Amino acid sequence: MKWYSSIIDVCKTILRQILLIAVSIGLATLFLSVSGYEPFSILQGMWKGVTSDLASMVRWSTGLILAGLAVCVTFKAEIWNLGIDGQIYMGGAAAAALALALPEGSQFLSVSAMVIVGMLAGMLYAMIPALLKVFFETNEVVSTLLLNFIAIRFVEYLVSGPMQDPTSITKLNASQKLPLWTWIPRLKIFDPSPANIGFYFAIVAVIIIAFVFYKTKLGYEIKIIGTNANLGVYGGMKPKWVTVMVMCISGALAGLIGVIEVAAVQHRLINAFNPDFGFDGIVVSLLANNNPVGIILSGLFFGNLRNAGIAMERVTETPSAITDIVMAIVILTITANFAIPRIRNIIKRKKMNKEFTPNRAGSEN
Amino acid sequence: MAYAVELLDITKKFPGVVADDNVSLFVEQGDIHGLIGENGAGKSTLMNILYGYTQPDSGVIKLFGEETKIQSPHVAIQQGIGMVHQHYMLMPNLTVLQNIILGRVPKKGLLIDEKAAKVKINKIIESFQLHIDLNARISQLSVGQKQRVEIIKALYRDARILILDEPTAVLTPSEIDKLILVLRELKNQGKTIIFITHKLREVLAVTDNLTVMRKGVVTGRLTTKETDTHELSRLMVGRDIDLRIPMADYQPGEEVIKVSNLSVFSKRNLQAVKDVSFSIKSGEIVGIAGVEGNGQTELIEAISGMTRIEGGEIQFMGEKINKFSVRRRREKGMSHIPEDRLKIGLSKSCTIRDNLILNWYYKKPYCKASVLDNGKLQSLSEKLCKEYQIKTPDSRYKLGTLSGGNMQKVVFAREVSSDPRLLIAAQPTRGVDIGAIEYIHHKIVELRDKGKAIMLVSAELDEIMSLSDRILVMYEGCIVAQFRRGEADQQTIGMYMMGAKKQEAGIV
Repeated sequence: MKWYSSIIDVCKTILRQILLIAVSIGLATLFLSVSGYEPFSILQGMWKGVTSDLASMVRWSTGLILAGLAVCVTFKAEIWNLGIDGQIYMGGAAAAALALALPEGSQFLSVSAMVIVGMLAGMLYAMIPALLKVFFETNEVVSTLLLNFIAIRFVEYLVSGPMQDPTSITKLNASQKLPLWTWIPRLKIFDPSPANIGFYFAIVAVIIIAFVFYKTKLGYEIKIIGTNANLGVYGGMKPKWVTVMVMCISGALAGLIGVIEVAAVQHRLINAFNPDFGFDGIVVSLLANNNPVGIILSGLFFGNLRNAGIAMERVTETPSAITDIVMAIVILTITANFAIPRIRNIIKRKKMNKEFTPNRAGSEN
Repeated sequence: MAYAVELLDITKKFPGVVADDNVSLFVEQGDIHGLIGENGAGKSTLMNILYGYTQPDSGVIKLFGEETKIQSPHVAIQQGIGMVHQHYMLMPNLTVLQNIILGRVPKKGLLIDEKAAKVKINKIIESFQLHIDLNARISQLSVGQKQRVEIIKALYRDARILILDEPTAVLTPSEIDKLILVLRELKNQGKTIIFITHKLREVLAVTDNLTVMRKGVVTGRLTTKETDTHELSRLMVGRDIDLRIPMADYQPGEEVIKVSNLSVFSKRNLQAVKDVSFSIKSGEIVGIAGVEGNGQTELIEAISGMTRIEGGEIQFMGEKINKFSVRRRREKGMSHIPEDRLKIGLSKSCTIRDNLILNWYYKKPYCKASVLDNGKLQSLSEKLCKEYQIKTPDSRYKLGTLSGGNMQKVVFAREVSSDPRLLIAAQPTRGVDIGAIEYIHHKIVELRDKGKAIMLVSAELDEIMSLSDRILVMYEGCIVAQFRRGEADQQTIGMYMMGAKKQEAGIV
């Protein structure tokens, strides 16, 4: 194997994914023009995102990259964590509760403590379906999904009950504003956007996860069990242990998103603060082919797309829901990935027939 | 005589390999034609082309003298080609009748016309002596009966040309005899049969003409009567093959494993292993013969630690290991070549390297504080590839790029290189080519001569008989007979395998 062959492979994959994106945006544009909206508003919005609104793109992609990672870790081990949204809520709630209880002090220490506690909360919440799966063989697709609703309602209860801001006159479903020293610093160059150093956390997380995948014992076990669980058992691994580990990592990453959303973007715990990062994370990971480094790229893309949707809605009549359509088309095209080789075969067959016909005509003469 | 099938100058390339290089095949009408060659010689690709699974890059297909194009299996069936696959394509929870008419259902209005179907099927059954209960469910049938259903299915679809892909791989000696009778009957009634195999003895017994392939080209077209095993194996492998294996004298040493009164339940909660006792000494190959599904799988899984034991005791090197984990057993010196290498022993979508390092990745010096030393693991896997003749340019390629024989060598390399005290070898040569069989057999004997204990489980009676120092026969979860080398012939062992006989004496 030549040293550059893997680089060529990566380039091929990236090209294929770009093609996929182009197809989805093309279809969405078609949809827009058919339904009478400004057809090129998505493209305009995305172009603006890259040229003049990098900050918003960074703000959205932070959560998306982390969510994509959280999904990717479990996908690799053939486990489905659809409960990332719930784990985000738990992480955010824990961090907010800690922030409101902390005495005034060093920002570095308070934020570190919040990050740790938030990640732990997400992790513990992800442990519930993991342990259920390990001990009772519960299907994690169902359990993780349902636990989302419990987490959403739990946060709603917190912010309309015990944690509700007593000083608020309008009785918003939100907690008190977090004290200044517990805020995660925003990026100065992007001021006044809520883009924050959480983005760096996300990049570091990508590096750590990539290291885990390619350089550690656990990564190897995830790879083996994810591709053939029987082989894992036969080789003396403990698939149950790997399930728990993977769910812990996934939950911790989700918890981190919660901390960032609460402590850097909203600065308080708000009802329904999570903009559905969990489910979008699935698309992010799928587009990146479950490759941790690719997740940075696909996270940035979807961050930009989401930002474009919001900007579009502000400027034109186009509803931001159109971005959901783009995402849906991306999912469809990825899951229908088998279609591409098929189409290629059909084209090849047609070509062959063409080449065949003159030959045959010749032989008959 | 006219040709039923003519494949002219077929070429099919896959990325990196030429599967078939200008291959031509001529099959006479009403002939049993043997297509033989090692795995990876291109015979399956050729048949897939004939059956419409893949399209050739170039070449012409003629059926009964007329040039045609076969774009899909559907077209192939319409043209009168039927295929009996190596892995049967049957729905286990449907009845025989339902399976046969699947895909070509006679209708009466909106309903299925079962009567018309039965009439037609019974006619086939009568004329070809293929007796079977149409109302039985597929899951209740034996392997040989399932094959029969596949043949009826092909005939029901009016096949004039039958392709049989490795039809004898999973059959017992008596079932093979029955199959041969059926094939002769089919031939007598004018069907053309293409018989794919790598077992030379059967080829010589059944076929009229032969085409031999090696590495994508035809190396011989022969009339069966005028050839012998010797010539065929040379054409297949490209050199003379010595299937007789030099062995040291039988000198069993200390007891390595002792199984007493072992009981194991299968996944469907039936008692699969019933009160089994035996032992294996060092320097000894113990062969376990038996039709598949008679408890061998569960016995292996119990010994290797992959399944729970219901009763009895397993002693390894004098130590009771009932409760030991798989890893602990492996570290004690147990190795295991699983019977289904793709389901259990390998991961196709991982690299060759990842498959080779399974026993080492967590050990020093390859792994320190949970961090892998990828460089050392890489050189380890390269070393193993070289030492065990795994043919690949680089072990970083995906395992799926290897042929069946080389995949088996990966398993073999991994399991043998850990220098085990006991090697459990289940179907070690299933679906691998003669070259690899020769290699694996020699290596197994070499291990025995070095004083290892070997438990050989195989459905191939030939293999068991040529390698084993002692033979145990399993039937319905019990060990029903024990023989020393040379004590019994194929027919006798076959009787015990079918449960027709049982030895009463205690087995040690």
